[in-house]
Amino acid sequence: MATASASGETTSDWSLLTRIVQKDEEALSALYDRYNALVFSTAKRILQRTGEAEEILQDVFYQIWENAERFDPERGSLAGWLLVAARNRAISKLRGRREWTGGLDENGVSLRVDIEARAAQNLLLDKVRSVVNSLPEGEREALECAYFEGMSHAEIAQKTGQPLGTVKTRIRSAMLTLKKVLT
Amino acid sequence: MTNGEHIREEALELLAVGGLPDGDSAAIQAHVSECHECASRLAESRGGAALLAFATKPETPAGTIKAELLARIRASREREEHFAWPLRPKTISGSEVAEYVTSRKTGNWLKWILVPAAVALALVSLALSWQNRRVSQALAKQRQATQALLSEREGTNKLVGLLAAGDTVTVKLAPASETIGSGVVKYNGRMGMVVYSAQLPAAPAGKSYQMWLVPVSGTPINAGVMEKGAHALGSVWIAEVPVNTEARAFAVTLEPAGGMPQPTGPKVLVGAS
Repeated sequence: MATASASGETTSDWSLLTRIVQKDEEALSALYDRYNALVFSTAKRILQRTGEAEEILQDVFYQIWENAERFDPERGSLAGWLLVAARNRAISKLRGRREWTGGLDENGVSLRVDIEARAAQNLLLDKVRSVVNSLPEGEREALECAYFEGMSHAEIAQKTGQPLGTVKTRIRSAMLTLKKVLT
Repeated sequence: MTNGEHIREEALELLAVGGLPDGDSAAIQAHVSECHECASRLAESRGGAALLAFATKPETPAGTIKAELLARIRASREREEHFAWPLRPKTISGSEVAEYVTSRKTGNWLKWILVPAAVALALVSLALSWQNRRVSQALAKQRQATQALLSEREGTNKLVGLLAAGDTVTVKLAPASETIGSGVVKYNGRMGMVVYSAQLPAAPAGKSYQMWLVPVSGTPINAGVMEKGAHALGSVWIAEVPVNTEARAFAVTLEPAGGMPQPTGPKVLVGAS
């Protein structure tokens, strides 16, 4: 649920982050309420295990609490960072790699859409689903294998029986379509 | 991968989605850490990929997770407070000092002037000494950080130069005999530079992986030990070798920790140039 002021305005992520820097638990709680479902859904989609996905959900928000002062809003959005951090941690766990150690001060994620309010999230959910469903089957498969299964392009080529170049072209084409949602 | 001095858009998009070989990812990351424009474009691509979160089936975590998170941060705060309090300096107020001085029985009026002056002098001296030590430590840290940045920048510039050069060759490394792993080498004989990355199990205790350039004629040339150190840029290693050496192959061997002047251990990865 989005945090709203008495006037009905949504408290911005940046404002919540500023309070988290000052160790305001209520601000972290509000941020959690705002994004926990998206973060959890991403981790669950990758890991398929509820317990492991919940572990990642908690770790991602704990990292915000511990290092909030290192987040640079100039380099990207907090919501974008949360989603990418959840994805990277889940993929590391899935592939049996060492734990992902990306920090808040690196790997900027620019999300040029406002998803601070629940209504905005629902709107974007419809748009992204519509775009992803409209992708040609080969493009969607390549994109999902790379993003949600952490497969290398070579592995995707082997799985789909397509040349490596075709796999890359398909992923790129899918990305161009997806990025149009942001414009 | 590069377009002149910047990383091409398609490479940034493929990195954002995932699936690039580790060597390519590391090379792009190294450039991005130095290039504001490419970092900004990569952030845009990551934002596009992050939208995929909205294409997942909506799921809700157990309600207890939030309570566990809040309990965890409270425990963390308590730990911090517990460990922090002995380190807090004790503050002595002016009235405490005065009380101390006046409580002393003095038979000499001079003490009323000399004692406070001595106390004040001691405090000033202590403060200056503490401040001096802090400034020296900060300067030393700053010098170290500057050196590290300069060294990293030099490595990144070399790496980008090699990757952009048209005459750089790529050699894929495959497991030798029963070992497992893979690697990739980018070599430019004109520049006398080798850049490589490998996926290998951790080296056994007391051992290190070492890269060799096997020339068309002559003995193998040491291209570095694969350990964190001066010639490592993240998970990519950069080594200088004699210029214009014609490479027949590249090989990784398992050597005693720190490396050897010539290969002595078993081959782990090999690749023909």
